[in-house]
Amino acid sequence: MMDRIAGLGREGLNVLASAGRSGQFLWRSLVGMPKPLTGGPLLVRQLYSVGVLSLAIVVVSGLFIGMVLGLQGYTILSDYGSEQAIGQMVALTLVRELGPVVTALLFAGRAGSALTAEIGLMKATEQLSSMEMMGVDPLRRVIAPRFWAGFISLPMLAVIFSVVGIWGGMLVGVKWLGVFDGAFWSNMQSSVDFTEDVLNGVVKSVVFGFVCSWIAVFQGYDCVPTSAGISSATTKTVVYSSLAVLGLDFVLTAVMFGGF
Amino acid sequence: MESTPYITFDDVVFYRGRRAIFDGVTLAIPTGKITAIMGPSGTGKTTLLRMIGGQLKPDSGQVTVAGEHVPALGRAALYRLRRQMGMLFQSGALFTDLSVFENVAFPLRVHTRLPDDMIRDIVLMKLEAVGLRGARGLMPSELSGGMTRRVALARSIAMDPDLIMYDEPFAGQDPIAMGVLVKLIRDLNAAMGLTSVLVSHDVPESLSICHHACIIADGRIIGEGTPDELRQHPSEQIQQFLKGAPDGPVPFHYPAPAMESDWGMAR
Repeated sequence: MMDRIAGLGREGLNVLASAGRSGQFLWRSLVGMPKPLTGGPLLVRQLYSVGVLSLAIVVVSGLFIGMVLGLQGYTILSDYGSEQAIGQMVALTLVRELGPVVTALLFAGRAGSALTAEIGLMKATEQLSSMEMMGVDPLRRVIAPRFWAGFISLPMLAVIFSVVGIWGGMLVGVKWLGVFDGAFWSNMQSSVDFTEDVLNGVVKSVVFGFVCSWIAVFQGYDCVPTSAGISSATTKTVVYSSLAVLGLDFVLTAVMFGGF
Repeated sequence: MESTPYITFDDVVFYRGRRAIFDGVTLAIPTGKITAIMGPSGTGKTTLLRMIGGQLKPDSGQVTVAGEHVPALGRAALYRLRRQMGMLFQSGALFTDLSVFENVAFPLRVHTRLPDDMIRDIVLMKLEAVGLRGARGLMPSELSGGMTRRVALARSIAMDPDLIMYDEPFAGQDPIAMGVLVKLIRDLNAAMGLTSVLVSHDVPESLSICHHACIIADGRIIGEGTPDELRQHPSEQIQQFLKGAPDGPVPFHYPAPAMESDWGMAR
């Protein structure tokens, strides 16, 4: 009995210690924001590997999700004779919800896991230690550019996802199923509010970008430096990021659109 | 030891969990000499190097490097002190996304504002010193284990440090690579006037180049002196380690229940 209580206490202390470490780590990453002259090239390189290389999966997913929305929307709306509203439905669904959320989930799977594995492997092969011993802070040199690159990339990817999704919805609704394109675009224009819908969607993706990047770089930096440790950290990145995104999405939606 | 110590450990205690890695270690590493820290695996030799570099802090006791009390240093001061140190990691720890040239140039690019042509000259000089000037364009994945360590050695001397630490430099090396590393450690120490700390359990190689040696076991220093003094040391534990005897004060058998009870012969 006492052993169980002690085990519970130990587990609680570990969770608290990990939360403290991740908080300290976040603070030092934020303070270590790359300076234009020295950190600029490092940030650009990470923006390329985290952001640009995630474009393909984001664009393809956005296109198919938009097309599916167009098809499903047409099927449902045509029952009520309101297929003209398909543009409005596709745009609002993408801009408010699916754009930020699905992009964040894809980002966690593609870029987040890669960041964790890369940093974890650098730790396991003593590259981070050797940097420290050379008098170079790995948080500033390795972690901060990756964190900021994720934070900057995700909102941009989410916007691209929504734009491509709307285009996919238009392809199916207008080009394939024959919805009048004037009605498609004008319904969308009249019902999508820039501040209420577009900006709130961008705010969501900024929050998701912050959380997903934080989880990815922290899991890599804090992992047990063995192959099993890196594998576990990579899994944790995807699982924690996905849960955090879905949970935060509910909270943000409640605050933004729930009238609280 | 005639010269002033560059590094001192004064009654250092360090625990990992409930296990005492160091239980009152007192040690002085002389300036300008090669000091070998030897001992069986898992006795905290690498931990000792990490304490010198300030990556680990002792639970109690003093660690002083170049007159600075390392555990008490702030982040900025510690990073400044580390610029006077070079460290050769057991794995080499080269940056896998950079070429050999860029690996050696890395500390110069980060810490100095030297023009590119001067950095090029310095890097080629350091690579020449380890015999790998011709390998400047290779990537770390194209190097053998011995070459990796030589490149890492060139990188660790790029900033002309006062102190260089070697973590198991001979582990897993073929005889030629080992001979090259032995020669490099000895020659670099003499040519650059370095203080070298060599952590290893390769006894013949370490004793052949060091001026001073310490043996760590059971969380403390069990013997130190010149290589000759250690070879004549009366301690059985030291002699077992130096000669690699399979049984002695460090027993061959891990503590186990009586054989009769394990094989069901107890009456």
